[in-house]
Amino acid sequence: MIRTRNIWIIALLIWSLSPLFWQVYTSFCSPESLIQPLSNSGHRWTLDNYRQVLTADPPFWRYLLNSAIVGISSTSLTLLLAIPAAYSLSRIPAKLARLVKLLMLGAALFPYVLLFLALLELARSFNLGNNLLALSFPYAALSMPLAVLLLASAFKDLPVDLEEAAKLEGLGLWQRLRWVLIPLVGPATASTSILVFLFSWNEYPIALTWLSRSDLLTLPVAIARIAGTSVYSIPYGPYAAATVLGALPLLALVMIFQRQIVSGLTQGAVKG
Amino acid sequence: MIQLLLLPAILLVGLVFGVPLIRYAWLSLHADSVVTGLVAIPNNGANWLRLINDQRFWQDAIQTSRFAVVSVGLELLIALAIALLLDQRWRGRGVVRAATLLPWALPTTVMALGWRWIFNTPYGPIEQLAKLFGLHTLNILSNPDITWLATVVGDVWKTTPFIALILLAGLQTIPEDLYEAFRLEGGKPRAALFRITLPLLQPYVLLGLLFRLAQAFGVFDLIQVMTGGGPASSTESLALYSYINAMRFLDFGYSATIMIGSFILLLLACILVWAIIQQSRILKGALK
Repeated sequence: MIRTRNIWIIALLIWSLSPLFWQVYTSFCSPESLIQPLSNSGHRWTLDNYRQVLTADPPFWRYLLNSAIVGISSTSLTLLLAIPAAYSLSRIPAKLARLVKLLMLGAALFPYVLLFLALLELARSFNLGNNLLALSFPYAALSMPLAVLLLASAFKDLPVDLEEAAKLEGLGLWQRLRWVLIPLVGPATASTSILVFLFSWNEYPIALTWLSRSDLLTLPVAIARIAGTSVYSIPYGPYAAATVLGALPLLALVMIFQRQIVSGLTQGAVKG
Repeated sequence: MIQLLLLPAILLVGLVFGVPLIRYAWLSLHADSVVTGLVAIPNNGANWLRLINDQRFWQDAIQTSRFAVVSVGLELLIALAIALLLDQRWRGRGVVRAATLLPWALPTTVMALGWRWIFNTPYGPIEQLAKLFGLHTLNILSNPDITWLATVVGDVWKTTPFIALILLAGLQTIPEDLYEAFRLEGGKPRAALFRITLPLLQPYVLLGLLFRLAQAFGVFDLIQVMTGGGPASSTESLALYSYINAMRFLDFGYSATIMIGSFILLLLACILVWAIIQQSRILKGALK
């Protein structure tokens, strides 16, 4: 029984990780050894791929920085709007709240890639292209449904008496939110933040159409651009090095925030 | 007063989701391309006539549906296995769970290019393995009959963890007592899967199914980077077709028409899936 389970666990790990290990392996291979994988020349292992990626123009860390800027600003904007909205949802008449939640669910289901053309037009008419911070607006809107639904269920779980007591103590709405309610929905806020951050870090079609200056590209667009530059021969070695470098921050995030990610996704499922 | 706190969030969502839909509906009734000097001119539904007679649109619609149905079907099966495995208690479960989450957390474009290298002919590992076993060259990414399966692999690899977590959440809501009672009544462990687990998991399966079908129907990143829609546009999705129309052919009127068309097809598909589910419930009810 336990032995068959171990086989399944190993199969799961191979399935999830082997494509990544192949990238790691490729990133340390010299171009010649990639073309002749079975030959045993002395020049198999190299750090050249990493050197090439890190000294390119713009250097690779620039894309990581851009993605981080977009991730942080989008997450902040999302929370800024979603927390009051979620609180309001848990206090307004149930019928109205239901309607809003249904709308949010519909928006969450919508394949957002279909929005890119009109959003690009909006960006052009408001001069928002090539501006990392401006990306927060579409990203916050696209993450809003998930954020509002997650946070609203957290607010709903708080006992009403608690807020009543704070009200009797003479705390105003803002003070109640700031000192009583928001600290109590901390875990849900953490889950929401990490999910929104991951979404903004990884988003592709909108970043692709809004950004054109090469020093402003976010990580997904920069990596896709490598694919576009040469259709017939992609520099797989340096590319694999870029993949590994790009995956490392996410590996760290997943390891650190695993519990928040899992509870965010599962809370969304149980209560949504 | 409290209602007002909702307003900023709703306005932003309305702006980003609502304005495009209205704009597309309007654009789809206009010619707006390089030919018209990028000025919108009403064209009496010519875009829609063109869409109905556009073989490439229908071919892409079939390809997108095929991709979505096969991917999501496989994802559900694998995710169920993963969720059942992660629901049990064993040492090192946390680390394994993090490892399975990793594919989902990475940007799609990163591994789309990774898959391109893995399926590369003749240097990728799959081709090398095939050669080792004495098979012919597979030409995975240049054979229009099988390339779409490679994109399915890429999609299944990336999004299965998401469904697995939703199903895991469902599994954890099933009280242990139920299994206990089932065993006391003399039920076999395997039978419990079909008599308790799967029926109670149904709402979570439906949620994952609905969510993933809609997302897979809008597949874009993976296809654009992994195959560019090729070979011979055999893997082109509807979203990619409308993207090509807008960004390469600069035909915004027609691009908008494709998007509204895709959206209508998706709605119809959702209604169909819903009807099938309702039907099967009625069937089940009749059998009891």
